[in-house]
This record gives sequence, C-alpha cells and structure tokens, in this order.
Amino acid sequence: MNRKIGVYICECGPNISEKIDIDKVIEAVRFLNDIVVVERYKLLCSEDGKKYLTEQIKRYGLTHLIIAACSPRDHQLTFMEVCENAGINPYLFQLANIREQCVWITADKEEATKKAIRLTKAAIGRVRCHSPLEKKEMESNPDVLIVGGGIAGIETSLQLAHSDRKIYLVEKTASLGGLIKNFEKTYPEMHPCSISIQQKIETINKTNNIKIFTDSEVEDILGFFGNFEIKVKKNTNEKDSVSFNVGAVVFATGSTLFNPNKTTCYGYGKFDNVLTALEFEKMNLSGEIVLKNNKTPKSVAIIHCVGRTEKGYCSEICCMYSLKFARYLKDKIPDIKVFNFYSDLCIPGKTHQKFYEQTQGKNIDFIRAKNIEIAKKGEHLTITYNDEKSGKNNYDVDMVILSPALEPTADTARLAEFTGISLGDGGFFAEEHEKLGPVSTSSQGVFIAGCSQGPKSIPDTIIQAEAVTGKILSSLIPGKKIEPEVKVSFISESFCIGCKTCLDVCSYGAITFNETKKVSVVNEVICRGCGNCVAACPSGAITLKHFTFNQIYQELKAAIQ
Amino acid sequence: MIKPAASSEKKGAVLSIKTTIQDSIRNLLKKGMDQGVFDAVLIPMRVPAGDSFSYVLIKDKSLLNNAVALPPIMSVQGAKAVSSVTRLGNGTMKIAAVMRPCEIRATIELTKLDQVHVENMTLISIDCPGVMPILDFIREPEKAIKLFENATKSWDDTIMRPVCQICDKSSMIAGDLHIGTLGTKKDAFFIISNSKKGKDTLEKLDIPLNGNIDSWQIKVKENAEEKQKKRKKTHKDLKTKIGHLDNLLDTFSQCINCHNCMRVCPVCYCRLCYFDSDKVKHPSGEYLRRAKEKGSIRFLPDTTLFHMGRMMHMSLSCVSCGSCEDACPMSIPVAQIFSMVADETQGLFDYVAGRSSGEPLPLKTYKKDELHEVEDAHD
Repeated sequence: MNRKIGVYICECGPNISEKIDIDKVIEAVRFLNDIVVVERYKLLCSEDGKKYLTEQIKRYGLTHLIIAACSPRDHQLTFMEVCENAGINPYLFQLANIREQCVWITADKEEATKKAIRLTKAAIGRVRCHSPLEKKEMESNPDVLIVGGGIAGIETSLQLAHSDRKIYLVEKTASLGGLIKNFEKTYPEMHPCSISIQQKIETINKTNNIKIFTDSEVEDILGFFGNFEIKVKKNTNEKDSVSFNVGAVVFATGSTLFNPNKTTCYGYGKFDNVLTALEFEKMNLSGEIVLKNNKTPKSVAIIHCVGRTEKGYCSEICCMYSLKFARYLKDKIPDIKVFNFYSDLCIPGKTHQKFYEQTQGKNIDFIRAKNIEIAKKGEHLTITYNDEKSGKNNYDVDMVILSPALEPTADTARLAEFTGISLGDGGFFAEEHEKLGPVSTSSQGVFIAGCSQGPKSIPDTIIQAEAVTGKILSSLIPGKKIEPEVKVSFISESFCIGCKTCLDVCSYGAITFNETKKVSVVNEVICRGCGNCVAACPSGAITLKHFTFNQIYQELKAAIQ
Repeated sequence: MIKPAASSEKKGAVLSIKTTIQDSIRNLLKKGMDQGVFDAVLIPMRVPAGDSFSYVLIKDKSLLNNAVALPPIMSVQGAKAVSSVTRLGNGTMKIAAVMRPCEIRATIELTKLDQVHVENMTLISIDCPGVMPILDFIREPEKAIKLFENATKSWDDTIMRPVCQICDKSSMIAGDLHIGTLGTKKDAFFIISNSKKGKDTLEKLDIPLNGNIDSWQIKVKENAEEKQKKRKKTHKDLKTKIGHLDNLLDTFSQCINCHNCMRVCPVCYCRLCYFDSDKVKHPSGEYLRRAKEKGSIRFLPDTTLFHMGRMMHMSLSCVSCGSCEDACPMSIPVAQIFSMVADETQGLFDYVAGRSSGEPLPLKTYKKDELHEVEDAHD
C-alpha cells in the first residue's frame, strides 16, 4: 500500500508552542518514510483547525493522519470525525499526546521536546500498521426488563413507562411493594408510607405498557445490549414459562436481613421476644406491640449494628430506622423505656440530625456498647455489655429488637452470572465505577438500582431508579441503531488450543466455546475490547483489533529507538 | 489454594514380588484388564528394533508381557502420549497409564489447559531413579539396559541425565496410584493410593490398603532432601555461569534453531510457536536496519529470544522432565536452565507445576495480595 502520512502538530495556543520546540519535532520526523507533509497549526480542535485539516487531507491525498496534540480523552473523537468527513477511515489516525504527557509534566523545554519527538515517531510507527475498521450498526429493542418489584423496580418501571417504554416487571413474591409494604411510617418525616406505596402499585397496575409477572423468576438472560432474550418462569408452575426480548435489563432485587442466628450472643431464635427489625415492623403495622404472652412490654432494647463485624460494612439505614422504632414505641406505649445500644451512630444528611435530637428524650437512652450478650432471666431478657467508661454493665428488658445488616438477596449471584457482571464487596452487584458509573455495570445494557447495589435509604433508591431511567432513555433510543465496539478481540481458530482460559478472564461474557471445533469464539457485539483475553491467552491465538501485536511493537520500537 | 494431601494421609499396601518387579506390575495390570477395571493400558514398550522405547496403548492383554514400566530412556514424554489419546475428549474407555512422576505431573498440568482429559484414566506413577541420556542409550542399547538395571537396584544416579541427578520430585505422587520401590525388601514393593479413584481401583483389585508405608516415606524424604541440596548447588553454579546477558548469549550461541526443545516439551501447548510463525519473519530492510544499528546481526536471528520467550511462557508449568535437553543436538543444558528458572518463578506463586490438579495455574488466578516484591523493586 502506498501510504501518504500527514503529521500535524498543534500549538494548543501557547500551551504547547511555548513549552516545546515544535520546529525541532518537525525536523525530526519530516524525512521519515511515507511522510508527505509535516505542519504546525495554532489550534487544531477549533472550527478553523478542523477545516484546515480537511483541506490538507484532500490537498495531499493523505491516507493516514497523525496529530500531535492533547490527550486522546480530549479530542480523539473530534479528529476521528474529521478523518471520516474527509474520507479517511478514522482508524487510520493516531494521536500523539504531547501536551499532558510532555509539556504538563516538565518545565524543561529540551526534555519535553525530546519526548514529544519520541511520541510522535511512535505514533507514526504505529499508524503504518493500522488497518481500517468498519463501524457496525444494529437494530435495538427499546423494551426493558426490570427484576424486582420493590421501590426501586416500581419507580424505574413507572418512570420508563411514562416515556412510552414497554416494561416487563418480574417479582418473585406474590405481590409488588418489596420490604416497604411492611413499614407503617418512614423516617424522618414519619408519614404513613403504606398509602403512598399502595398508590404507586395501583398506578402500575393501571399502566398498560407495564407487564407484571408476580410469583415469577428470571430463568435465563441471553444476548447483549439492545438485544436480550429473556425467559421468565412462574414459581407456582414449573412449566409455565414465557420468553420475550428487551434492549436493557435492570436489576432491582433489593436486599434481605443478615440472619442474627449466625451469632449466638443475641439469643435470636432461642429466646422469646427477641425480634428482628422486619419482624418488629410487621408487628407494629399490625397495630399492637405485645410480648409473646400478650402483655405490653415496659422496656425495649434496640441493638444496632447486628452483623456489622461479620459483614464488614455499615448498612447505612439501621441507625435511622432504629430511631424510628423508638418513635413507634413511644407513640403506642408512652411510658415505655427504650435503650438504644450502638457501636457507632450513623445519622448523615440534612434532616437526620434533627430527627435524632427530637427522638432523644425522656426514657429513650443511647448507650455506646461493645460485646453485647443477651441472656434469659425469668420473664426478662438481660443485656450484658461493656460500655465506654464503667466497664461491664447490664440491663433487664422485656423485648429486644435487633437491627441487622442488609445483605444481597439470594438471586443476586445467579443474575450476575447470567449477565456476566461481577459481584462487589458484600456480594452486592458491582457497579461499573463507584463514582463515575454507579448504576451501570460491566455489561453494557445491564443496570442496577436500589439495595441490590448496596444498602441505601428510600430517597437514594429513588435517585438510582431515576438515574437508571436517564441512562436507558439516553442510550437505548427507539429507532436508533446501536453501534457496538469496533476494537474487539478476534480468536484465530488455527491457533486456539481450546484451553478456555479466555472464558475465565472475560468480564463481559463475550466468549463462548465451540465444542465441535474445540475453539473459543468471541461475540463481537458483546466484546468491549478490554484486552484481558489477549493477555491471558497462553497460545497467542487472540488479537485485539487496533491493538495488534505488530501495532504495539512498532509503536514501542519507534518510541525507544 | 488446595494443597495436595499430606503424605501421612496416603494409604498403601505391601505386595510381594515373585519374579521381578516388572513382572509384578504386568500381572497387576493384567488382573485389572481381566476384571474390567481397565479397558486398556498406556505403557512404554521396547520397539521391535530394540534401540528405543515407545508408549503403546495396549488393548490385547497378552502384549503386556513386553511392557516396561520403567524404561531406561524417555523417548517421548508420557504426557504427550496422554494428550494424543485424550485431547479431543476422554471417551468411555477406562485407561491405566503407567508413567514416571514427572510425566504424570506434566499430564496434570495439561488438564488445567484442557489439553488432556483424564476423567476415565487411572494415572499410575513409579519411583524413578532417573533417565539415561538418549544418546548414551542408542550407542549401545544392550549395555545401557544392563547399566540402567544395576543403577535402579543401587539407586545410583551417576549414569542418568544431569537434570535427573538434581530431581527432588522423583517419588512425588500427583496421579491416582504410585508404585514404591524405595525402602522395601528385595521381594516386595508398595502400592500407594493418592485419590478416590486410586482407592476404588485397588478395592476392585482386592488389594486392601492396610500396609505400612513408613519405610518408603522415610526413604523418599531422605532422597528428596539429598537431591534438593544438590539441586540448589547446581542451580547456584549455573546462575553464575549464565547469570548475565552476555553469559546467556554465550550459552545459547551454539543453538542451531532446530526448535527440537519446543517440539518435545510436553507442556509447550501452542498450536504454532510464535517463533515458527510469520510474525518473526521480516523484510530484508528490517534486518539491514538491525545490522546497521549493531554493526552486524547473526542468522538465523532471534535465537536467544526464542529461549527467553519459551522460558517466559513455560517456566510456570515446567516439570523439569529433561526432554528438551535430551533432544538438543548441541547439548545445551536447556533442561537445567529451565529447572532453575522454573523453581524461581513457581516459587513466587507457591506453585509446583503438576503437583495437584486442585492448584489453578498462577496466571489464571487473580490475587489482590501478591508479588509485592516485584512492585517494591520498582519503587
């Protein structure tokens, strides 16, 4: 192939021109093979700059383009677009980062110039080996599967249905509502919550484009962003299963409580009148707080942080709902004595401190305690603990409420496996990025909302539901084709030894094994081009397009020669 | 990481030898075939011309009379034979494979890469006194056989390959059953079970696992400790010899690029070696450029790079079987160099190639907390 490479060095205003001797860079690369033109320009990313580049490409009939300028994170796409418009395949372009990687890391002009020369030469060495890559487009299905009918699933369904999306909402229990339907009130405003959740469920039932499957479970998820095949089966009837297609999947499978049985010190399951938070919510909702013998309790201990050490994280909401419990108790039994045993109080947010202060008061005590143990003493329960000052101490109470850590539901691991996403700390779904991608996952088109991603409050859950809605509405647009990654990996059938190592390291579930040929195969639509398989392949059978061995080798060679 | 069962958990039986140990092993295998415990046996046999030994898959049990469980040479590494038989699936045939410990370890290593399927196979190893250099054998086969027989009796390794002389895993049990000849009286040998499959096999053969194998274990430990000392010393000497790039270049300068070492290596699993591929062939301009840079370049090119590439690739799975050195027409101590590098790289991951199928390949395992010594080196 007769290559005609054009090299353009951006001055980036004074950013680059003052810190690098650009003429020296031009001199160093001018006479390399295949180079037909080397020029400098004041600001290539400007409208004028883009026009200038387009004219230059046409004038010299360039086949390849090198730009020495800023980080690819800034303007790679800008210049790829210029290439496309001027008739060069955008992958026959390479950006040398002489700003962030040269001028911004040293004040020494000579050193910066030296490195800029190396990086520009490296880009030229690399671009010579580039192959044109073609964009692919695929039809996508705008419908959405939502797994879990708690507050997160309900809210996401409603939001998306509002934008005329068809929603399939799968709930494993017999009714929607999740854990919240057991709550009489929510903190901090102490408004009745059963009404609002009931209203939402009624709206959902009335919305035509939400198809609800209760008593049902997702049996299989196959495919990729824009084209997932879903199989849902009824729990009540094994044979009753339906299949449908969606473009995106939302996991809103919520959480469950840590079983206090796993630690013997609380006597849960052994002594009467030791309840979990959820059992207490249910009792409270039924209208009457009573002991096993139907008497009204005179004193109650609320134990915070149950299972925190075992799980290794703070569940964020337990302190707040424990305060709510104190309010429930005071409302129903005004002269009751309430003890809160905590290890650390977690009351963040703009309204919660006030709620805490208002809850403190007559006969509501907060005790910072360690080594809590509960024993039975006649009709009472004795709580023995170590406090901060006086050492070992104890109290007798009638009832104990345990506030256990939240943990992911049993389905979490199974659903993660279907979609090739990973589980993070505590076994919750792992987000794509803790800060920058909190509701997306490593699998494109699979989103997470609510407590399935980690313990959180109702407002935070709704925020995530809304975030997921935004993500889906902006990425999965009806009628708009989706463009899968072009720089994907490729497995050579004749080199593959069939050891399946690549299957283990692919985070996206993009590789399958062909049992007939005994070779691994990449699904180019799912592959995100991370390169894990390329590095792990013991027999060198995998190539990542645009990061081929030769491209990297030539780039390195030119950089260090 | 799943560690192999401690040797104290191993159970064994003491069996008597009527004529020779080889005969006893043959009879055991025959009994297995008679009772349908095995459908076939994979075992070495002397070739008709007499000047070599080869693995054969025996279906006709009368042919077991010619089988030799412990041949003096390793013409083909057993794991390669197992791979040939089972790479495309294990089938339904129950096969007993009788091999040396390093051959079994290479087989176990290949299971981790799906290159062998041993689900229906019973892997039987035998205490190994070492292997004679193939060239020594071919020169005078009859004499070599006598020498080997005597050396096996006296456990004298002086006639064995250098890499066998420093082998500290010559009694390591990685398969299902092991035949122990160390620490026994003349008329007895041990059979030791190392897996459920091994235990079941012996049960079917009516061999109760109630023998005392203490004397074997003591002798094995003594032998391994002695070899370990020798191994360390040899590696230390070798390191001074090849420890710098110049020395390394000198060592491999005799290499004629035949790539025999790669071809006979049981764990060299690539379909096509990178160094045999077009990726290392360049237009003449590139060679001229290299020549200009260094003044001259040697042809065939990339000789040392080939060995270093193979080392990077193989050292974590190298079982120090010595096949490469046997196959080297220039007598480069490849196996000794590989055994040294392998000990160091495997040591980094607390890994021993082929020790147990429960130990995953280090490069397939992600651990947050490892290799800090490498990180620190770059701080």
